[in-house]
Amino acid sequence: MIATLASLTLRALLNRRRTLLLGLLGALIVAVAAIYRLGGPTADESLDFTGRLLANFGIAVLLPLVAVIIGTAALGSELDDGTIVYLLAKPVPRSIIVLVKFVVAWAVTGLLVAVPMLLAGVIGAGGDPGLGIGYGVAALLGGLEYTAVFLALSLITSRALVIGLAYVVVWEGVVAGLFAGTRIVSIRQHALAVADALTTDGGVPAELALGTAVVVGALVTAAAVVLAVRRLSLVELRGETG
Amino acid sequence: MSVLSLTGVSRWYGNVVAVNDVSFEVGAGITGLLGPNGAGKTTLLHMMAGFLAPSAGDVRLDETPTWRHPEVYRHIGFVPEREAAYTFLTGRQFVRASARLSGVADADAAADRAIDMVELRDAANRAIGGYSKGMRQRAKVAAALVHDPPTLILDEPFNGVDPRQRLSMMDLLRAMAADGRTILFSSHILEEVERLSDRVLVVVAGRLAASGDFRRIRRLMTDRPHRFTIRSSDDRRLARELLAAPEVEAVELREGMLSLRTGDYGALTRAVAPAAQRAGVSLLELRPADESLESVFSYLVRR
Repeated sequence: MIATLASLTLRALLNRRRTLLLGLLGALIVAVAAIYRLGGPTADESLDFTGRLLANFGIAVLLPLVAVIIGTAALGSELDDGTIVYLLAKPVPRSIIVLVKFVVAWAVTGLLVAVPMLLAGVIGAGGDPGLGIGYGVAALLGGLEYTAVFLALSLITSRALVIGLAYVVVWEGVVAGLFAGTRIVSIRQHALAVADALTTDGGVPAELALGTAVVVGALVTAAAVVLAVRRLSLVELRGETG
Repeated sequence: MSVLSLTGVSRWYGNVVAVNDVSFEVGAGITGLLGPNGAGKTTLLHMMAGFLAPSAGDVRLDETPTWRHPEVYRHIGFVPEREAAYTFLTGRQFVRASARLSGVADADAAADRAIDMVELRDAANRAIGGYSKGMRQRAKVAAALVHDPPTLILDEPFNGVDPRQRLSMMDLLRAMAADGRTILFSSHILEEVERLSDRVLVVVAGRLAASGDFRRIRRLMTDRPHRFTIRSSDDRRLARELLAAPEVEAVELREGMLSLRTGDYGALTRAVAPAAQRAGVSLLELRPADESLESVFSYLVRR
């Protein structure tokens, strides 16, 4: 049952052209790190550049963009096109549906973000995996939180993609930049705190303490999953004709 | 045997009442839910299948409320009206997935059986995205009955299905009913309900307008004059032939159009083609005049 649900979700996600485009975006970060490296910078310069690339493009752009598209599509696309009826008409607990979709969406997000970030980090650090692993793990943990939030959002509103993007751009990009106090509820800052804690050379200093980031991140993730289960069990299907 | 029961069920969306204080029970055999488009058939079926919460009243399958009890889907197969499908799956993959999600022990064998039942074997290994409407419909039916549920709910199952497949799907439903299953299907087409169901529920504007034995309701619905217009290669010759048919009450030739009146809608529709054949006339068009289903149903409600 779980394997069937997971494979349906995975095929639906990978079948979308958007997912392939996101793969190209991941390839871009690897390419940029490699091209910079080819210019013959010093080891320090390359480490510094790659750290900023991973933080300012990887964590700040690639991760939320992939997570919002994958997270809102994992259940949202089935709600939009009506195929959700084939899942809801099965004796499968709603919590299982949400959890499987969540894990698959997270895995796809991880594949599309953490793997290219790991590669870019290794290339930029001249073969030393420390930077890449730090940012890769941060992307995985940040992806977990983003995916949970966007999955829940897709069960609350049919405009989840737009609202999710607005959150990323306006809240994380602008508000959290201006007001330090709001950073505690910025998923980007949670991920950056993890990356900072896991890297020694080349990492970008974080603005939140690791403990705060992990606790708030875990709470947000758990709350989003609980909310998503609750919303799915209340989803109503209306006919087209009444 | 399973019994679906509705007690004082209403459903409203904001200020709009879609279903108004409906009570009935559906047991073994085939029951047709008949009503014009927009009458509330889908809302009723979705409440019965547990996809919509009743605003008031109670919907149960045997003893279990259907809303928020996913375990009832072990006993219900549901065929939605919407054409939505996992277009990237083949028909077989779709039916197998349905079997696995329903917890069927040997999902592959069950899927093969269901695919044979709806005669989809030839197309089973093609992607659903390339299916015709009728093929999608059959795939949906196969997915709904793959776990052999005692109750089958179908929303407009014959939409888009060609006549031959319609007959074979009717045979399939009859055979399933003969095994003691509870089958409920909706339709806005009187003839479909007439041919298939022993019992009928008529819904008009969210209310149960009539329920019970089909023949009685049919009489109510058909004991009224119906008009048809016909275009053919030779209206005059066809008129002569049709006048001999007992179900034809009046024939009129006017403005290059043949117009008929009958008291028996179904019998007339069946009589026209043979009459044209006997007369050696090509039939170009047969159309019920001034006769939307809505008008038929509102006539029924007035009675």
